[in-house]
Parts: sequence; C-alpha cells; structure tokens
Amino acid sequence: MPHRLTTVADVAVAYAPVMTAVIETSGLRKVFGETVAIEDLDLQVEAGDVFGLLGPNGAGKTTTIRMLTTLLAPTAGTARVCGFDVATRSSEVRRRIGYVMQTVAYRGLLTGRECVEIEAALYHLPRREIPERAEAVLKAVGMLPHADRRWTTYSGGMQKRLDLACGLLHAPEVLVLDEPSLGLDVQSRHNVWEFVHDRRMGGATILLATNYLDEADRLCNKVAIIDHGHIVVQGSPADLKRSVGADVIEVATGEPERLRRAIEAEPWVKNIVGSEQGDLHVYVEDASLGMPAVMRLGLEHGIELGRVTYSQPSLDDVFLLHTGRELREVEMAS
Amino acid sequence: MSIEQVADESRARVHTAGGARRRWVQEVLALTRRWWIELLRERLNLAFSIAQPAIWLVFFGAGVERAIDAEAIGTDDYTGFMLAGIITFTIVGNGVSGAMPLLWDKETGYLDRLMSMPIARSSVIVSRFVFQVAQQTVQILLVVMVALVLGVRLATGVPGLLVILLAAALLTMSVTAAFSALAYAVPQHGTFFAVAGFVSLPLLFMSNAFVPLDVMPAWMEVVARVNPLTYAIDAMRTLALDGWEPRIAVSLAVLTLVGALCLALGTWQFRKQTGDRA
Repeated sequence: MPHRLTTVADVAVAYAPVMTAVIETSGLRKVFGETVAIEDLDLQVEAGDVFGLLGPNGAGKTTTIRMLTTLLAPTAGTARVCGFDVATRSSEVRRRIGYVMQTVAYRGLLTGRECVEIEAALYHLPRREIPERAEAVLKAVGMLPHADRRWTTYSGGMQKRLDLACGLLHAPEVLVLDEPSLGLDVQSRHNVWEFVHDRRMGGATILLATNYLDEADRLCNKVAIIDHGHIVVQGSPADLKRSVGADVIEVATGEPERLRRAIEAEPWVKNIVGSEQGDLHVYVEDASLGMPAVMRLGLEHGIELGRVTYSQPSLDDVFLLHTGRELREVEMAS
Repeated sequence: MSIEQVADESRARVHTAGGARRRWVQEVLALTRRWWIELLRERLNLAFSIAQPAIWLVFFGAGVERAIDAEAIGTDDYTGFMLAGIITFTIVGNGVSGAMPLLWDKETGYLDRLMSMPIARSSVIVSRFVFQVAQQTVQILLVVMVALVLGVRLATGVPGLLVILLAAALLTMSVTAAFSALAYAVPQHGTFFAVAGFVSLPLLFMSNAFVPLDVMPAWMEVVARVNPLTYAIDAMRTLALDGWEPRIAVSLAVLTLVGALCLALGTWQFRKQTGDRA
C-alpha cells in the first residue's frame, strides 16, 4: 500500500525521473570514403540540458546531428537517444526527437497550417486532436496570425519559425536544432533565442549546433567545442571561460614576437596566444593592471603598439586557447 | 491550457493509439493530402494534365486514321484501337512528372525532415501511387468520354471501364515505383530527366501501343512481350474492342506481379538511398 502523497515535495520525490543521459555517445565515429568526419566522439546530454555543439563550419556538427537523428549510420561506436540505440532502434529514436534542420524545409504551395497539420498526422497524432495541436504549436512560435498564408509568401524568419513549430508537434523528449539562427536577421534571431529559452523553462532537453559564440554563451548550460571532428573541450560556458583566465588583453602590433618575449616572463601574465592576424592575446588576472603594464613594457622595448583593448574572456578565447585559431577567423576564411 | 499540457496529453495518446497498419494508413493519407493540395493550387498544371490524353486522342485519331491499314490493326475503329495506347502513354508521362516532387524533396532537404519522422519507408512511394491513381482516373474518364463522342463503343460497357481503370492502376504501380526508385538513385535531377526521357518513348514504341503484336517484326515482338506496357494495353484494348476474354485475366496477373516487383524494388532503393535505416 503506497503511502499518501501529502506535500508538493513528496510528489516531487515520488515522480523524480531516474537521472540518465538523454543523449549518450561513446567512441562515435563517421568516415566518408577517405575522410574522417567524426572521430571518437563522447557526448553526454542530461535531461533539461541545453547542450551546445560549438564549432566552425565543417567541424562535424551536422554529421553528429545526422547520426543522432538516425539519418546517417555511424561507422563505429554507439549513440543512444532516450536509451535507444540510433542504429538498431531508429524508429523509437525518431518518435522521441524533434529535429529542425539547418536549411529551411521547402514546403511548396501549402499554407503554414496545412504544413503543420500534415506533419502532425505523420507523427500519428489522433485525428481529432490535430487542429488544436496545430494551433498550439503555431501560437508557441507566434505564427498563428500567418497560419493561413501560403508558405511561399513567408520571410526567411517565418519559414524558420514554422520549422520550429513542426519540431514541437509530437512533444518530443529532445529537440535537436541544427544552426537555428543561421542566416536570419536580428529580429528573427531573437525570436529563435526566445523560443529556446521558453522550451528550456518548460523543461525540454535541447541539443543545439551553432557557430555563433554569443548564441552558445547565451542559450546553453553546457557546451562542447568541436573542431575537425574532435571534441576539443566541454563544460559549462562559465567554467570554460574561467579556465581561460580572468581577462584578455588584445594587442595589435607589428612586432608580436618581440612583444611576447618582452612580457612573457612577467609574473602577472598567465598565457599568451598569437592570433592568425598577428594580434597577441595576453591572458591576465586583472586587465586594469595588466593593460598599463603591457603598454609600459612596449615603450621600454621600443615596440610600436597599435590598438590595445581588453575584454572578459569569451568562448572565442576558449576556442583560441584550445585550437590556436579564432573561431571568427575560421568563419571568415571558410 | 499551456502548450506543455497539450503536449503531454498528445504524447500519452500517441503511444497508445492504433496499430502499425492504422499508423501507416494515416501517413499515406497525410502525404497524399500534401500532393493533392499542391496539384489543386497549380491550376494550369491541373487543367493541362487532365485534358492532355483527350486532346491526344482527338488529334492523333483524326490525323493518323487515314494512313492506317485497317487489316493490319484488325479493326476499322482506329480511335478505339488507339484508346488503350493513349491511356498507357498518359500513365508513363504521369510516372515521369510524378517523380518530380520526390526529386524536389530530395534536393531541397525536405526528404531529410520526413526521414527523421517515425514513418514507414514505403509510405512516401505509396502516397505517390494513391495520388497518381486518383489523378489518372479523372484523366481516363475524360478521354473515354471523348472517345464515346467520337463514336467508339466499349464492347464491355461500364463493367469493362472499371476493369480498364484497374489495369491502369496496376500499371501505375509499376511505373510510379520504378520512376521513384530512379529519382532516389540519381545524384541529381538532370540525370533523372536524361534517363526518363531516354526510356519513355522506346518503352511505348516497343509495345503494342501503335501496332498489334502479330504484325511486328519477330525481334520486336520478343521485346514487346517482355514489356509490361503490352499487357496493360492488351487488356484495355480487348475490353474496348472485343469483349470479355480469358487473356484479360492473364494480363492483369502479369501486371500485378510486375507491380509488386517494382514496388519492392522502389522501397528497397528508397531505403538504400536514405541511409540504410530500418
């Protein structure tokens, strides 16, 4: 005879979910012909996480996501979503994920409402509930006022929001968003961010691939930085930034190597990394003391300093620290 | 009610709702609805595709009839003789144009979206089949009406017309599945149109669409006898000109067999091209 649940706390304890990883990969590997796209990938996404896969284009984010959404078979290793192996129990996995692709899905001459209703049926929602459910998800992304217009008349941001709405239809246990704000204007990006924020507040688990640092920083409670198919480092954005050092001084100079030699022995310098553009990133405990010191040492050695700025460490600094490249530069080059 | 509440209730019911077959029917109907809406919104496409076979019958019948040796084709009703060929021609044309939405889905990425859903791999192809059969039933009824106006009398009447529709549907199963398989197999739509264009007309010429089997050169007759189009045309032509004959049943059986084979091939190709997934 179970005892009666009397307080909110009792109820919470009685129904607390068993803590297991919602997404778990181990030694995941994907090879296309000669190219190794993903190498030995170990990920662990817990229930309620907004987990960011951060990295430049071509790092392997989409390949990872396509394996987790059962669209690609792994070459080696295992991946489980909600406890189901993506290779052997793919239909169970598909039932539990809401996948929003990087590119907007082309939906021809249909109206927004028709798109959503058709996909609701494809997720096997009971026929009588479909109209109500369609309205609910359209409302959740602010598309209800435009529901009966044709898809072709939508702006890029509206098309994206429709895709996001479709990702919610079957109330998936995990939302997988591949570069959700890529190519959107500022307003639409904020809509996407709001969407992720709302879902997170509702307790959803979200896996989000992005190459925008600010997006990962703002939305995610955990981030895995991925480059050339490897996870470079992972943790919470705050921890990752803390690991970089307190502050970053960026110095533009024509003679970065001389400046490096002039300051590297100083006790307040924690680390120096040169960027590909020739700037020096000097990691220090406290930039308000470090900046004048750098300038003084530059003058003493007769080194011309261009611009000297400082910033709190960003995820870009984390990326630079671990890969020797700046994410922004990688993006420019690609 | 908040979206999360609606969500939880829906989830609970999804997991308990219906068997696998009921889910499959729901998928096929949802996808068919999508094709149907798109066709109805493309008015010009709709008008031309529905009217095309009837127009062909009028022009072809009127123009070529005088040049035809009635003894060679075994009847002096050339329009009645051509009816089965025109219907088959239409089915092949529909098969080619009907694979286009699949090509677009593949190239625009919507196919990936579909494949990330818990749907049966056969439902996409089957939905195309259902849609095409519905579309061509309207086309066939129109072209038969025009034939009646031109003086053709169906030897088997209304029941025969129903069997003509059945034979057309069976051939459509083969054609739709084969062109869908091709659409999924090719790297790009350019290849699809090159192959489809190369195949369609020879497929028709190497059948009894324009010439009966017994007046063909021997080698051509051999080719025509392994061409599934021949069986569809033979069944429809016999129903239109001669009456109920046992060979109709044989043709229908052959069409069923080939249709099932093509469907299996199409679904296999589809699975293969969408990433070896169960």
